[in-house]
Order: sequence, then C-alpha cells, then structure tokens
Amino acid sequence: MVAFAAGLGGLALVAPGPAALPEQRVAGRPVQVPSDGYASSSSCRACHPGQYASWHGSYHRTMTQVATPETVAASFDGVIVDNVPGSPMLLEQRGRRLSAVFDDPDDEVKGLAPESDSARPRRIDRQVVMTTGSHNQQIYWYATGNSRVLGQLPAIWLTADRRWIPRRAAVMHPPGQSPMSETGSWNGVCVACHTTNGQPQLDTPFGSQPILTQVADTRAAEFGISCEACHGPGEPHLHANRSPLRRYVLHLIGRGDSTVVQPMRLNPRLSSQVCGQCHSFWEFSNPQSERRANAHGLPYRPGDELAETRFIVQPTKNLGSPAMQAFLAADPGFIRDIFWSDGMVRATGREYNGMIDSPCYRNAATDARTMSCFSCHTMHKTSDDARMIGEWADDQLAPRAVGNQACLQCHARTIQDVTAHTKHRADSAGSSCYNCHMPYTTYGLLKTIRSHQISSPSVRATVDTGRPDACNLCHLDKTLAWTADYLEKWYATAKPRLGDEEQSVAASLLWLLSGDAGQRAIVAQSLGWAPAQQASGTGWIAPYLALFLDDPYDAVRYIASRSLKTLPGFQAFAFDYVAPQTTRAAQRIQAMQIWRATRDGRIPGRAQLLINADGSFNAEVINRLSRERNNRRVVYRE
Amino acid sequence: MTAPEYSRRHLRFGWWSLLLFATLGLLLESLQGFKVRAYLDVSNETRRLMWTLAHAHGTLLALVHVIFGLTMRATPPTVMPHLHLISSSLIAASVLLPGGFFLGGIAFYSGDPGLGILLVPIGGVLLLFAVFWIARGSSARR
Repeated sequence: MVAFAAGLGGLALVAPGPAALPEQRVAGRPVQVPSDGYASSSSCRACHPGQYASWHGSYHRTMTQVATPETVAASFDGVIVDNVPGSPMLLEQRGRRLSAVFDDPDDEVKGLAPESDSARPRRIDRQVVMTTGSHNQQIYWYATGNSRVLGQLPAIWLTADRRWIPRRAAVMHPPGQSPMSETGSWNGVCVACHTTNGQPQLDTPFGSQPILTQVADTRAAEFGISCEACHGPGEPHLHANRSPLRRYVLHLIGRGDSTVVQPMRLNPRLSSQVCGQCHSFWEFSNPQSERRANAHGLPYRPGDELAETRFIVQPTKNLGSPAMQAFLAADPGFIRDIFWSDGMVRATGREYNGMIDSPCYRNAATDARTMSCFSCHTMHKTSDDARMIGEWADDQLAPRAVGNQACLQCHARTIQDVTAHTKHRADSAGSSCYNCHMPYTTYGLLKTIRSHQISSPSVRATVDTGRPDACNLCHLDKTLAWTADYLEKWYATAKPRLGDEEQSVAASLLWLLSGDAGQRAIVAQSLGWAPAQQASGTGWIAPYLALFLDDPYDAVRYIASRSLKTLPGFQAFAFDYVAPQTTRAAQRIQAMQIWRATRDGRIPGRAQLLINADGSFNAEVINRLSRERNNRRVVYRE
Repeated sequence: MTAPEYSRRHLRFGWWSLLLFATLGLLLESLQGFKVRAYLDVSNETRRLMWTLAHAHGTLLALVHVIFGLTMRATPPTVMPHLHLISSSLIAASVLLPGGFFLGGIAFYSGDPGLGILLVPIGGVLLLFAVFWIARGSSARR
C-alpha cells in the first residue's frame, strides 16, 4: 500500500501540467512556426552551446516574447496604472493569463470617441499576449479579438526607472496631438525585424484599409532575432551535419560550412548587411515586393546583396532617385525625421546607414581595412571576454572595441603619440577616439547614442546642419568660435563665418534655448555626461536644466531631469516628467531651491554662459533666445 | 598465465584504476568548487560532459575489473576460455574508453569532442567482446 502510494506520488511529480496548445492552434496572436527551411534556435543548441548561451543572454532574443508571468518585466498583480490617456488601466494576472482593462485606444479610429467630456470612452478587457523589448523599455501587446491582429497597451514599462509611462512619453513626439493607436503595427511593421522570417500575412497592404477590418494570419519562424536571422535558414545545415564524418572533415580542414552562412566569413560589405537588414532605414522598392514579403517574409537572406531586395535610404547617395522622390512626395518628413540635413543619421536603430557613409567603410582600399559592424561588435561573447554577460549584452562590443583599441586596428600609428593627435591628455576623455569621432548626436529611446558615422569635428557642419559638434558637447561652456579657433590652430580646419551669438554665447546654450527638440535632447543629455561636466564645471548647469523640466516635449523633460539628478545635491530630486503641468512647475521651483541651497557661494560671471558679473542670469538674452526657439514639429522614427 | 594470476592482475588493475578515476572525480569536483571557467563556462559544456564521462566510465570499469578478478576466483578455470583475450580486451577497453572521453574534452570543436573520441568506439567494442565471453563462461556448466 505504501509502495503504491509512493508510486502515485512519484507519478505526480513527473506528470506534466495542463497540456500547452500546439503553437499552430494558438489563436488571437501571431504564432511561431518554422517553415521555409528555418529550424529554430533550439536546434542549434546541442552543437553550439556557447554561441547559443551568449545569444540567449542577448537582448536580440528577448526583442519579441510571448507574454507570460516570466517574460513580463512589470508586475500585473492587480496594478493600477494612472499614466494613460483617459481612465487608469488595470493590470491583472489570472492564473498564467495576463490581462488589462483600459480605454479602447481605437475608439477614435472607429469614430466612437465621445464629443463631450462627460461621456467616457469604451472600456475593454483584453489578454496581454506579446511583449516587445526588455533592455530599455518593454511594450505590451494585447489580442484585439480580430484574427491575429495585436493592439498596444496605452502605457509601456520604462525598465531603468521601473515605472509605467504613457506610450506617447516614450518617444520623441510633438505635444498636443491626438492619442496614439498602434493597433496592427506589430503585424504590419514590427514583425519584419523583431522576429525571424516574420510574415505579416495581412489580407490587404498595411494601412490600405481601417485596421479594425483588416484580417491577419501573422506568423514567424521564431519570435525575437534568433540564430537564423544572421546565419540563414538552418534546416540544410542540420540535415547535412547529422553525419559525424562530414563534421570532423570540416573541423579538420577548417573551411566554412557551405550549408550555413557565417557572417564573420563574409566580406565586410556583406557581413555588415546582415546587421543592416534591421539596423537600417529602408523601404520596399515597389508594392509587389511588399506583397511578396507580406506572404513569405522578407526575401533577404544573410550573404545576399541587401540592396537587391529593398531600397536603402541614403540621402547622400540616392536623394535624387525616383524612388526617393516618390517617398518624399508621400511624406515630406521622410528624410527629415531620420537624417540631419547633410544626410547623417540622427535616429537610433539605423546604425548601418551611418556606418556605410563613414570614410572607414566608404574609402577603404581593401577588405582587410574596411570597417564593418564586426570591427567593433560581436554577436557572441567570446571566451576571452571577462565581462558578465549582462554587461556585454548592453552594446555587444567586442573586448577589442572597448576603448581606443577599436580604431587602432587600422590607425595604430596614432596611438604612438596620442596627445600629438588629440591635443588632450592621453588619459583624458578628450583622447578617446569615440568622443571626438562618434559623438552622441543620435537620439532614440529617451537617450542619445553615439553616431555610427565616423566623422571629425567640424564647426562648418554644425553651422550648416544644426548638429552639435563633438567639441562643444564636451566643452559645454565654450562658444562655436572657440571651437573653430582650436580646430584651425590644431588641424588647419578653415573657420566658417559665424554669427554674433555663435561667437559670444556657449554653443550648448544656443542649441538648448533656440534649438529644435532633437537638439535640446542631445544637449540636455550632455549636461549630465560626466566627461562634459568635468570639462565645463557643474555650478551653472542646474538652472538651465531646470528650464527644460517644462519643455513641451516629454522626451526632453525626461532627459533634462535625468541629467539634473547627476548634479551635486540633486540625487534625491524627484521629478515626474509626465505629471500635470502644475505639478511639474512646482517641482521645477523645488529644483531651483535645491540649486540655491547647494551652490558654493556666488557663481562667477561668465558672459558666454549668460551669467552677469554679479552672478545673476542674463534674462534678456535667455528670453530672446527662448523666443527664437525652433518649434518645428520633431518626430523621430525610433 | 594461470587463472589465479589473471585474478590477481585484474584485482590489482581494478583497484589502482579506481584510485586514478576517483582522483579524477575529486579533481572535477575541485574544478566545480573553484568555479574554473575552463571547465564550467557554457562554451566548455562539451569538455565538462567528456570529462564527466571519462570519470564515470573509468570508475565503473575499475569496479568491473575487481568483480572480474573475484569472479575468476569463484569460477573453475576450465569454463572461461580465451582468458588471455578477455583479460587484454578488458584492460584495453578500460584505457581506451575513459581515455578517449578525456582526450576528447581537452581540445574540442564547440559541440563536437576532439579527435580523441575516436578511441571510445574501439574501447566499446573491446568491452562488449570481453563481457560477452565472461558472460558465456559464467553460464557454462561446471
């Protein structure tokens, strides 16, 4: 009897729980079904455990996940989220099912939005089925009930701050526009790059009819950017390498396996295109290619020539092309929302466009001296990399690319006397190749990142495009004239003609006070950057950042408050960048009080920082520059 | 060589072999305990598996030698033909099987062990040969 009971107990331990529905039969969300030669990453694990593990620890894997209690970064345990348009959103976990109750973001689309304030939008209760991202933000998608079409929750999870924010506040978006609905965007847009071999399978082209009447049978070989996104479909490789003889012959002769693509063995141009298939700004060449991708996924496979199957937007090369003109006719912001006026990329996620316009790529004479994405990045953490996997996954830099070694692969002679080239102390931030040649002039996801177009500081380019230059992003207290003088003295760079204020007011303040939202975000971030604070001092920064706690753009307010918290005395400063304007105004006053309480005596007068000799601020010039602010509508295709 | 001599040979080989592979087990535990990356890193999973298999096979085969030595003492020599071949095969298998696994884990190709693994099937065949003749001899009438 005891043995029988023990046996039953043992069975209970090994018996599976409720059987999971086969993926093909899951309804209400896109499904992952390997086809067209794709085999899924689980097939790669047995033979490539190390590579599998480093990919598994990367944010590429978690770019798209099925929403489960384990994969969501936020709590769904009866949480009420106030930071949404309309009534608060209620999040609940019912068993393993994640649910949200919220105002239907598509009410306006359907024309159901009430005219009067007293009427309320329709409340809906939906199952949360998918997630996007995990590194900076996590976005949640719900089943709309219409085929596999997904809708987006009106709030997203900001990972660094561990808080919910309205969807609008996560992107650079002009204030005061109608609420955003992202229904169908996952099926029509995200699926292309956030999955492996994604197929929208929309009944008609995305955007050609109201999304609520669109039918989708969206599927992918695998959610997230998996092994086969970079190595190509794995089925032929799996099949061929069942033979140990074949495997050992390949091991011993050291030749690449022709049944799979090894991006590292491709030439730099083709290997970079593997990354460029997603990290670029591109469009379908024609409606036929869009329909083909809709049904079968994008035709590009690693090793192919990327431009053969899509139009890579590169204003420096194809601005006058008929395709580009057509795109511009349909959307005047087509280039402006992604590029600076000289064609340099200004939005994140488009690093390939920047890289291929770099002299290190464009002008290289041989493959060996051609920069590629893999000159600096590695998709698999190497065994000689002592960093923890989470640290590596942050930017997937190869150990050789952490610091100046990245550039010294080709520019070795420069290192022999760094100071002779940089004119800065060898161990200072001014001698970092990255800081001068890849400054933080690209924006996305509530932060700036380094430009991936290698360039040299140029005041002329700054004057022509409005793009902050590397020198003045560190020397925040200096004028453009000061920079032009030094560039002429050190590098014989011709000085451009500068206006009065460019000669008398610190460049950072001109961009901050008079620039567009993109420029303001870039400078606001630099004001919190330790090397810039070291070079420029911190005593004068807080009042300027406090001004931008009331910026009309959510993203600028967020970055300004984050930079403010890096200043002495502000570590505990609490600022809610999505709070009502009155609350923000009070917090701004509090910021000024903290500054007055913590500053060390009277701040010295510095004309270029608009500080008078008596320590007061030059309100007249500050107000005038603020009135001259470039209020153009800024939208980034992040 | 007489049956008692074979018995002594296998008892001797078994106990020394057990000492060797028990020591290897202790070494592997130390690598685990001190978190040695060359053994524990996920990219060294193949090495970990190969060396674990070397330890397990070596230890078990050492016990087989001890049991075989004791079996011969309990079995009349007339019922165990090919004694020389059985003994040599068992000893060769006890070297080749764990040795192949161990060598296969020293240098390897991601999920595939190094070329030393080629010794393992040879050792496996010799082991089967020896076990077959021991089993047959044990089943024979006295």
